[in-house]
Amino acid sequence: MDFYFGLAQLIGVHTLLGLSAYIVLLTGQVSLAQAAFYAIGAYVAGMLTVLGGWHLVPALGVSALAGAAIACAVGFPALRVKGLMLVIATLAFGEGVRLIFFNFDYQIAKGDVKVGPLGGEGFRQIRFFPENGWSTAEVMLFIWAFVILVMALLWWFDRSRYGSVLRAVGEDELAAQSVGINLTAVKVSAMTVGGGIAGIAGALYAHYTTHIEHSSFNVLVATFAIAYPIVGGLQNVFGTLLAVIFVQGFLIEGLRDLGDWRNLLFGALIVLAMNLRPRGFFGGRRRA
Amino acid sequence: MKKLTLAVALAFAASGALAQEKTIKIAGFGAKSGVVRSFGINSEAALLAASDVVNKGGGVKLADGSKAKLEITFYDDRCNAEEGISVIRRIAGTDAVVAVGPTCSNVAEPLFGILQKKVGDSGDSGLQMPVFTDVAIKVGLAKISEWAFRNVPNEMTMYGSLFYWLKSKYPNAQTIYGGVEEDFAHSRATWYSVMKAGAEASGYKVLGNSKWLLNDSNFATQVREMKSAKADVIAISAHPFTTCGVLKEMQRQGVKPKVLVGLTSSSSLETLEGCAKQAEGMIIPTSFAPVNKEATNAAQTTAKFKGAADLHSMAAWENIFILKRVMEAEGISGKHDAASVQADRRKIRDGLAKLKTTNGLLGVSKRDDEREADKPYLFVHANKGEWKVLYNPL
Amino acid sequence: MLDFFQAVSDGVLFGATYALIGIGFTLVFGVMHKINMAYAAASIGSAYAALLVLKLMAGAPPWLIFAGAFVAGGVLGYMLYLACFHFIPLSSPLATLMSTVGMLLLIDEVIVHVTAGMPQNFPAMYDDVMLRAGEFTLRGDLLLVFGVSVVAMVALLLLLYRTRLGLATRAVSQQAVAAQLCGIRVGQVNAMTFVVTGLLGGLAGAMIGASVGALSPLLTTPLTVKGLIVTVVGGLGSIPGAIVAGLLVGGFENVFQLYRGVTERDLYVMLLLFVFLVFRPGGIFGIQDDRG
Repeated sequence: MDFYFGLAQLIGVHTLLGLSAYIVLLTGQVSLAQAAFYAIGAYVAGMLTVLGGWHLVPALGVSALAGAAIACAVGFPALRVKGLMLVIATLAFGEGVRLIFFNFDYQIAKGDVKVGPLGGEGFRQIRFFPENGWSTAEVMLFIWAFVILVMALLWWFDRSRYGSVLRAVGEDELAAQSVGINLTAVKVSAMTVGGGIAGIAGALYAHYTTHIEHSSFNVLVATFAIAYPIVGGLQNVFGTLLAVIFVQGFLIEGLRDLGDWRNLLFGALIVLAMNLRPRGFFGGRRRA
Repeated sequence: MKKLTLAVALAFAASGALAQEKTIKIAGFGAKSGVVRSFGINSEAALLAASDVVNKGGGVKLADGSKAKLEITFYDDRCNAEEGISVIRRIAGTDAVVAVGPTCSNVAEPLFGILQKKVGDSGDSGLQMPVFTDVAIKVGLAKISEWAFRNVPNEMTMYGSLFYWLKSKYPNAQTIYGGVEEDFAHSRATWYSVMKAGAEASGYKVLGNSKWLLNDSNFATQVREMKSAKADVIAISAHPFTTCGVLKEMQRQGVKPKVLVGLTSSSSLETLEGCAKQAEGMIIPTSFAPVNKEATNAAQTTAKFKGAADLHSMAAWENIFILKRVMEAEGISGKHDAASVQADRRKIRDGLAKLKTTNGLLGVSKRDDEREADKPYLFVHANKGEWKVLYNPL
Repeated sequence: MLDFFQAVSDGVLFGATYALIGIGFTLVFGVMHKINMAYAAASIGSAYAALLVLKLMAGAPPWLIFAGAFVAGGVLGYMLYLACFHFIPLSSPLATLMSTVGMLLLIDEVIVHVTAGMPQNFPAMYDDVMLRAGEFTLRGDLLLVFGVSVVAMVALLLLLYRTRLGLATRAVSQQAVAAQLCGIRVGQVNAMTFVVTGLLGGLAGAMIGASVGALSPLLTTPLTVKGLIVTVVGGLGSIPGAIVAGLLVGGFENVFQLYRGVTERDLYVMLLLFVFLVFRPGGIFGIQDDRG
């Protein structure tokens, strides 16, 4: 049972990561920087609970704010680059943040041990959950409380004017501008919300794995972040959730019995999925 | 898809119940993907080979006097922390009584982190599963949890001893310069905490070190730094790919130190296949070499299961025999219901914790209070395309 | 001062390989307005495939293996086209992007499976030759790599500007619909673009293998990232841009390493990219950047 709870934790965190890219994708921006905000959330929350002795919930709040703030700052220059250049620029930003953490040392002594991030060796012993006696099931429910909250928020956005505005910008920027939509506000706000969600995801990641290091936030993670909404389709938030379950639940854990074939099938099935359903699981049909 | 998996799982369970033989399940796990794939392959082969030997000898004696055969299942964690955690949870959900792994230190650390820190601490909800590591070698990991045990060489002792011995063998070598793979936990920690400290303790003067990254391919600047340092000893704390890159560049720039020292993990086939010529004379301390009958036999048996024998995979081999001894000493039930499995796991953990010495292929290993091993070692050097024993302190 | 020139020259020679990878990315972008994320992986994969030549003919000369990589690259390029670009409608750029990522993962896995992740020795030519001028040295094998890369780039430019295929390719990249109206078969041109860039990529993979002396799956990710940076700095769609940018990035990278060390080196390369994005978003020789 523990295994399924653990898997659910993983799916929950990855769903949040995917959703952070989802909202940015709605505005037509492909951002490979979500892993960077994820990393920032992870380190910030880890430092607050381990070095500062904070409780996890306020630490999560600060992580969300940190992720959102940095994302907002990135959102403005991101406006200057379009399309695939943005992909590369955000990739470079993500790598830059990872490299900053690679060089980041901040240790303080707690008793006779030194705790805190130590550059290339990472940040170990982020043990808020086990130290406070949270069971696997309780951690899972905690993570999913946030997943449901974020999904509800994004679902509500979709039903409100904000969602239509986001998608309008994503569909056709020129047309959106000509009906008076402020492109800057929309794109930067989407980036900010995405950053906040990624910050929460990162904070949860740090606490349920108990150890983070720069390589936990590499190009592959950034790619997975956008893979989920792309494979899931942009019609609604459930697409992303389904994609995470497909990738993590089926491709990675479900195919485990296939042994070595699992890894080979992974890439092949993604290619196949994109060929069969180019607009994602819940992509809807394109109106001609 | 879910229905199919359920049906398959039920079929497996049913077939297990129908089996006549008693079995004890041991789960192996490690990296069978990416550049570290060979480690996982070798560990799996060693586990299968060793358990085959145990089974051919009758198996493991249970508390009630009957014998049970060992059954190994190997899981691939792809050297990824999240997957490693998923795998150990999955293993904990099966009836495996102990897990042997992981390969990667960056998986071991988070994995040990989710285990219960202190046995019997009811306020700690960490996983209660004994993990007996064969490969992950970064300094000081087992102390993270009382359920974590390692059978990996103690690099501190080995390099300390190596530099002491080098000082006596090459008395006119006074200075040392290092080359470090900065972004890999093991190689980084080994230079700063182990090699540098060990060299200084033996009276070497550390002139400095050059750094590079795991996937770098251009070492011109670093080797130029080495050249201008003009050190007598050059120690390279890196894995085979970059070690060979650096050695090739050293050859190009004509850098020839009096003594060349390498990282434990590089005393493998990979280094020789990549740059045997340039690695000629490189000295590495290791906890495995086929220098006695037992070791040679272990290597040959593992080869039958398509794995290579080196200090990493042979630790997995040793683990099986250590576990057999512990299981028999503690008297495990071998029953497959959840309560018995958990009781057996606790017994194995307690048994491993009690051990002060274990039998290894090179001799007796000591075990310390931090659940780490201090294994007998010897020094090998690259000689004409093979790792030959240079000095055997045993 | 000598250190500086040495670092620059080492870096620029290596940068020729980045330029080749950058050209591949930029050419596909220019013609199809898509990024082929699997390009660097396919290049390295072609080099691996070329090692099969050694299996068939032990002691094969290096140039034959390079030729093998060249051919393998073309084949892989066509396969990539079929898997990721032929069937997916052009109106789904995200799907194309993701499928190329899937191919990247697949190629990497195949390499790891076949070689058990262990580095494979790759033949080099003149790898023991070092040209010296006092303290200043130039690696002979890198000079060859540089030379071959230059020849390849010139050949490509000749192809694009002196042949009918090149004309058709440029036409499709400028205005696909108009090109179709002129009777150019867009599908065929796209496929040929992939084959040509694949050939180039295969050669790049062989050159990279030769300069490193070994092939490893570790090479793929940094090459992908650097190749993309080179593409943007040079201007998406511009081949001369990719060439200059490749050399530039190679040189700068080494200089950053000299002055700030290896842990901060890549950070500065990213900053270099950002400087370009802020001050020259079109890249060095920016082409149609209002296409988005």
